Amino acid sequence: MGLTADLNVSVQSLLASTQAMDVTTTNIANQNTPGYARRTVVLEESAPNGADGSTTGVDVKAIQSIRDAVLDLSINAATSQQNLSNTVSNSLGPVQTVFSDTASDSIGSTIDSFFSALQQLSTSPASSPLRSQVLTAAGNVASAFQSTASVITQAQQQADQAVVQQTGEANSLLQQIAATNGQLTTAQNLGQSTNSDQDQLSNLLSQLSAIVDYKTVNSSDGLTLTTASGAPLVVGNKAYALTNSINSNGFNDVYAGGADVTSSIQAGTLGGDLQTRDQTLSTLASQVDQYAFQFAQAVNNVQTAGSDLSGNPGVALFNPPNTTTGTATGAASSLAVALTSGSQIAAATSGGASGDSSNLTTMIDLQNQPITNGETPDDAFSNLTFSIGSTISQANSNSTATGNILTQLQNQQSSIEGVSLDEESSNLLLYERSYQAAAKVISTIDTLMGNVLDMGVTDPGY
Amino acid sequence: MRVNPNYATDMVNLMDLAQQNEDNAAQQLSTGRRVSLPSDNPAAEAAMINANAQTASIDQYTASSDSLTDVLNTANSTLSSAVTLLQRAVSLGVEGANGTNNQSDLDTIATQVSGIQSQMLSIANTSYAGQYLFAGTATGAAPYVADAADPNQIDYVGNGEQNQVKIGTGLSVAANLPGSSIFSQSGANVFTALQSLVTALQSGDSTSIGTAETGVSTALNAVDTAQAFYGGAVNELTTNENYLSQEKLNITTYQNTLVASDTATAATDVTQDQSILTATVAAAAQINQQANLLTYLH
Repeated sequence: MGLTADLNVSVQSLLASTQAMDVTTTNIANQNTPGYARRTVVLEESAPNGADGSTTGVDVKAIQSIRDAVLDLSINAATSQQNLSNTVSNSLGPVQTVFSDTASDSIGSTIDSFFSALQQLSTSPASSPLRSQVLTAAGNVASAFQSTASVITQAQQQADQAVVQQTGEANSLLQQIAATNGQLTTAQNLGQSTNSDQDQLSNLLSQLSAIVDYKTVNSSDGLTLTTASGAPLVVGNKAYALTNSINSNGFNDVYAGGADVTSSIQAGTLGGDLQTRDQTLSTLASQVDQYAFQFAQAVNNVQTAGSDLSGNPGVALFNPPNTTTGTATGAASSLAVALTSGSQIAAATSGGASGDSSNLTTMIDLQNQPITNGETPDDAFSNLTFSIGSTISQANSNSTATGNILTQLQNQQSSIEGVSLDEESSNLLLYERSYQAAAKVISTIDTLMGNVLDMGVTDPGY
Repeated sequence: MRVNPNYATDMVNLMDLAQQNEDNAAQQLSTGRRVSLPSDNPAAEAAMINANAQTASIDQYTASSDSLTDVLNTANSTLSSAVTLLQRAVSLGVEGANGTNNQSDLDTIATQVSGIQSQMLSIANTSYAGQYLFAGTATGAAPYVADAADPNQIDYVGNGEQNQVKIGTGLSVAANLPGSSIFSQSGANVFTALQSLVTALQSGDSTSIGTAETGVSTALNAVDTAQAFYGGAVNELTTNENYLSQEKLNITTYQNTLVASDTATAATDVTQDQSILTATVAAAAQINQQANLLTYLH
């Protein structure tokens, strides 16, 4: 009780209202800042003023950021997943065009044309122009294998370049996270507000989750970030950079603290590029190599069993790099026609006459035999098409599904953290009125105090 | 319950989605295909590729059949000429055997038969596109040559093989008949028969002329019978081609069901998606103009 107590309380009230208006202003200014969570003022009754403790003022207990940490984690996880799917879909996109049914120079198409040319030759086996056509068709098959192998290698190399780039981006973010983490811990220890640091941290973690998946542990040191396999990325205010190292395939592996974490990165754009490069495309490349090798081998075996136009034993038609005892690696990119003249095609059976096509028939029959990847040449191609089409299709579905989840989560997050201009403007009014009321009280007290001081003065002078 | 105050991001997403749907619909309408890439429908793409391989095969069988038909028809008409010539030879033989001729007449007839013999040799050595038709599979050289020791003897130097050509799945036809099954069959050798007739006519002996004429008749029948092979082969090819074109039609129809877009549906989709896009954009514009509290204060 007492005017002085009233004065103190009213001044406190002014300060509280001012602070509250500060918060409202901050919210309005940062409405669109990424990572920003709206802040509210937590007011509480302060310690009693005055002799009998009956007058209590208002204290700003805290300025609180309203955020849901679990929701943030869910959003980051979903972001990682969606970026994984999008990256996979985008990197494989150019590769699937060489497997489409409309590509007339695809492996499937050119093999069909090759068998057609063989078939046409069988109607007149000694015909020189028809023999030339077979060689041309064989050349087209070799080109198709070469260009398919080239498209796959190019996609792998682009993914590899992206890996290096994203490792760099991730490292930059890790450094920033470490710095922010350090600031946050320091502020906490000094009892200062950590709201801005939290906002910044939230934003940085969100950006990082787009690139790579990680695990977080909160401890007394602040945030600890590790890779999914447990290798440290950020501990306290220290960042442990990811490094790249060329592996035996000539591609960049990712290392964290000396350990190879390449295969444990399962999400984010980095995960997408690694998966595409090391799994999908790698498997596809070896399947295409196998296809080329076995196809060439089968044709060559029939060719060498027959006689050419001059009556000599047939020689290999195709030239895979390593002959029958070698491996298939690189077969597709170096497949070529070894014959120089159509007369070398061994249409006749061994010792047969120039108009005999029985060896040719054996070669034509290869089309229906499981000579490539355990399947007929046509089935081998259509299965590769199905395989890559499915991988992309699956990635697209995952992306859409995750995208829907992400939208839901982001809406939820926004409803919790998002700044509403309507809300802030009405708060502004509220605190403005509070301030005005407190100011009014002060001016009233001032008048009263003046009256008190005037008591006992005989000549007021007015 | 607090609602999301930032709907702008949502509106942008919705507009993007509507635009994308409209783009897809427009592409389907203009390309005529629902499925353009393997990822659109992997199973349909794989099936398309297999179907393409089948139609390529059918197209080739058809082309081969056409080529073969040309060759077979040529051989067939050549043999018709041969039959006509032999019939003439038989008439000459009958004329020579009727006992009313003097030696001079017989010599004239003999010359005519000799002429027929030369023409027969020519016919037997017919070639088409540089390959000999009646040499079996030894098509690079003339199948009938004069014997080194006896120029009046014609030897067959071709082989007895037939070129088997695939014209369908599990279906082959023999594309030729070797000369040894036509002109120089055992017991019915055209050249031997004609030579015997020439010799008999020159000798003037009626009996031997009659025997020789019978020999030529036998050879004629043999050639005539052998000719049936060619007509039969052409028929088989024609029947097969009819079957092949039906097969191709079936496959093409199937391929359409796999990937083709129905024009009416695609056009409707485009219109519908356009409306949705327009509506979404209009709604976004409307919402953005909504007042908030700030506009009403002060």
